[in-house]
Amino acid sequence: MGWFILRRLVLLLVTMVIVSVGVFIITEASPGNVARNLLGSFVTPEQEASFLNQLGLDEPLWKRYLYWLAGTDWIASKRIGLPLERLTTERGFTEWWAKLPSGDLIRWQLKGEDLVAVIKHQDGRIEEKLDNRRWRKGGGGREFFWGVDLHNRAVLWQKGLSKKQWVYVHGKGWVEAAGGATDYIPLKKGFLRGDPGISLRTGRPVAKSLFVRLRNSLVLASISFVIVMPIALALGIVAGLTAERPIDRALSIVGMAFSVIPEFAMGIFLILIFALWLRWLPGASVFGNHAPWERPDMLILPVLTLSLIELGYVLRITRASMVEVMRSPYIRTAYLKGLPHHVVVFKHALRNALIAPITVIMLHVNWLLGGVVIVEVVFGYSGLGKYLLDSAMYKDINALEAGAMIMVVVAVGTQLVADIAYTFLNPRIRFK
Amino acid sequence: MGDVSQLNEYEYIEGKERKSLLSKSLRPFALIFSSRTATVGFAIVSFWIIVSVFAPFLTPYSPTYQDWKAPNQGPSWNHPLGTDELGRDLWARLIYGARIVLVIFPVSSGLWLPGGTALWGVAMALLVGSTLGLISGYKGGWIDEIVMRLLDAMISIPVILLYLLLVAALGASAVNVVIAIAIVGAPGIARLVRGLTLDIKTRDYIRAAETRGESSLYIMFVEILPNTKGPIIIDAMLRVGYAVFAMGTLGFLGLGLPPPSPDWGSMVAKGREFILAGAPWAALWPSVAIASLVVGLNLLADGLREELTRYQ
Repeated sequence: MGWFILRRLVLLLVTMVIVSVGVFIITEASPGNVARNLLGSFVTPEQEASFLNQLGLDEPLWKRYLYWLAGTDWIASKRIGLPLERLTTERGFTEWWAKLPSGDLIRWQLKGEDLVAVIKHQDGRIEEKLDNRRWRKGGGGREFFWGVDLHNRAVLWQKGLSKKQWVYVHGKGWVEAAGGATDYIPLKKGFLRGDPGISLRTGRPVAKSLFVRLRNSLVLASISFVIVMPIALALGIVAGLTAERPIDRALSIVGMAFSVIPEFAMGIFLILIFALWLRWLPGASVFGNHAPWERPDMLILPVLTLSLIELGYVLRITRASMVEVMRSPYIRTAYLKGLPHHVVVFKHALRNALIAPITVIMLHVNWLLGGVVIVEVVFGYSGLGKYLLDSAMYKDINALEAGAMIMVVVAVGTQLVADIAYTFLNPRIRFK
Repeated sequence: MGDVSQLNEYEYIEGKERKSLLSKSLRPFALIFSSRTATVGFAIVSFWIIVSVFAPFLTPYSPTYQDWKAPNQGPSWNHPLGTDELGRDLWARLIYGARIVLVIFPVSSGLWLPGGTALWGVAMALLVGSTLGLISGYKGGWIDEIVMRLLDAMISIPVILLYLLLVAALGASAVNVVIAIAIVGAPGIARLVRGLTLDIKTRDYIRAAETRGESSLYIMFVEILPNTKGPIIIDAMLRVGYAVFAMGTLGFLGLGLPPPSPDWGSMVAKGREFILAGAPWAALWPSVAIASLVVGLNLLADGLREELTRYQ
């Protein structure tokens, strides 16, 4: 058993590596780039190049993958010569500072020819002062300096060579500003140390927005799961007990139709019926900054769509399993012993018949994820799926990678849980 | 006595059918019509195949012709199913859309191949999947180990993620939709074929071929592959239904065929914006079309499988 779990965990790791490398390569190979997607198609080639440079996107692929995985602060720290520290402000923003030997934190800013240090003392006091003595002599007589700027980047400034830089302003998007540098390393701790980076599209930390999206998706998926399971299992058992009779025929055909109709078509049908013709429910689920449970009426249609799709699938599996169990010799023995029908069904058949559905449903999570994505798009529900789709469209690599990793962990994780559950439910199975 | 003679008669008919080419080609139809489920499915699927083959004769409009004086209209005498937001005839777009799914594979603007995009997707998946499965099952050893572990990893990736990555990266076109369907379908087929190969490999005729000194390519593709066809055909039929489903989903996410072409999924995505403005037709019809085609294909496959397993 332990060996088996270990093997599956290795598979999870392999899958995550394959997917993460795949996402990098595919995003790289595809036409268009994030600069044009974010700044608009009227951006000049120089602006585009400087934007890519600032985000560290002009580095070779393997280097960017390494940075994404292991972070950049250790490299930057070597260049700057001071240890770096990450703080989270009261308003939830991430700030990177260099730590002086005295214990005070420091960042810099370039104003014309002058280097201005912003020092945060240990008592919280913030002080600004000229700090020109830090310029170092480089080759060719130029003076240069590696430091941390106000936008969480390690930068290489050259004296007298102030370039334009792109700054993300909340509410306005990316705008150009003075005081730019010649080389940038965006600071991050790396995925392995729990920092998926900053979303290029929104300028916010991916981990923060992803958490809200993930919560919304979980609300949607778990409500429909709780509703659908008892109904589908009960209907599946009924269909299995009445195999080949009209009730079973009807349930099986309806169940099959529900499970194969694409989610978006089902969503459209429900919107037309309940939002347009009956006018009972809103046809979209746009919450803004609110949590989904604050508007339960908006949750009904997405949950219903997802439930109908899952209903059909679980019903079919349960029916097949029930039919098989009812044909087995031990059930015949029970009948021949003279046990009444309900005792045979509830005491003997049911427990065995539910083993297959429970594990198969866990394996089905992979598909359920797809359904959730589509339902979110149909209803404009702001969940993980929609986040992933938008990130893929904008080539927002940090957000895309983080979302993809979560999906893989959920899919492979539930498969592992399903396999373990199976061994407990069915002692005949033993893993070598 | 009666029972026995009937049984013999059945065998006799079986033997006779093998001789005549005509009755042999009619046999699948006899099988379909012996199951009510399969018959209904067959009727739905045939409807879509017929309207898509004869699409140019069934509507006076081209699917891209825009009647800018009549946008977002309901069904009328001129437009039997109504028009979309640009005044394009929905019936024309619907049946030309069926054409792309079932009859025509538009490779590029000037070139198209017979056989629908969904069918090509399944064919490619079969090609890749059965090759991998054959090699993995027949060769065994470390090749088998590597191929199967990679496929395990592929299978555990959420399908929707694969679609998003593949087509968002490759761009929207029919060829990329085929590639996406093939990549998603291939691992399942490879596992199926590998399982069958492991079984067939132990048979005497394979031993005989090996003793004759046949190359392993010959053994894999001439001796083993033809003997796996039964389960593969049933599996492929279900996959066609799934490929239609996948095409619709990709189109709906904006990853289907590029805009002017009448792609069902993208028609729904566009029409969705006008539902609450009071023009539901543009979203309704393609949804109905795709739902009915997918259900029809599944009914057909389910019915056929039931009939086949009954005789076995």
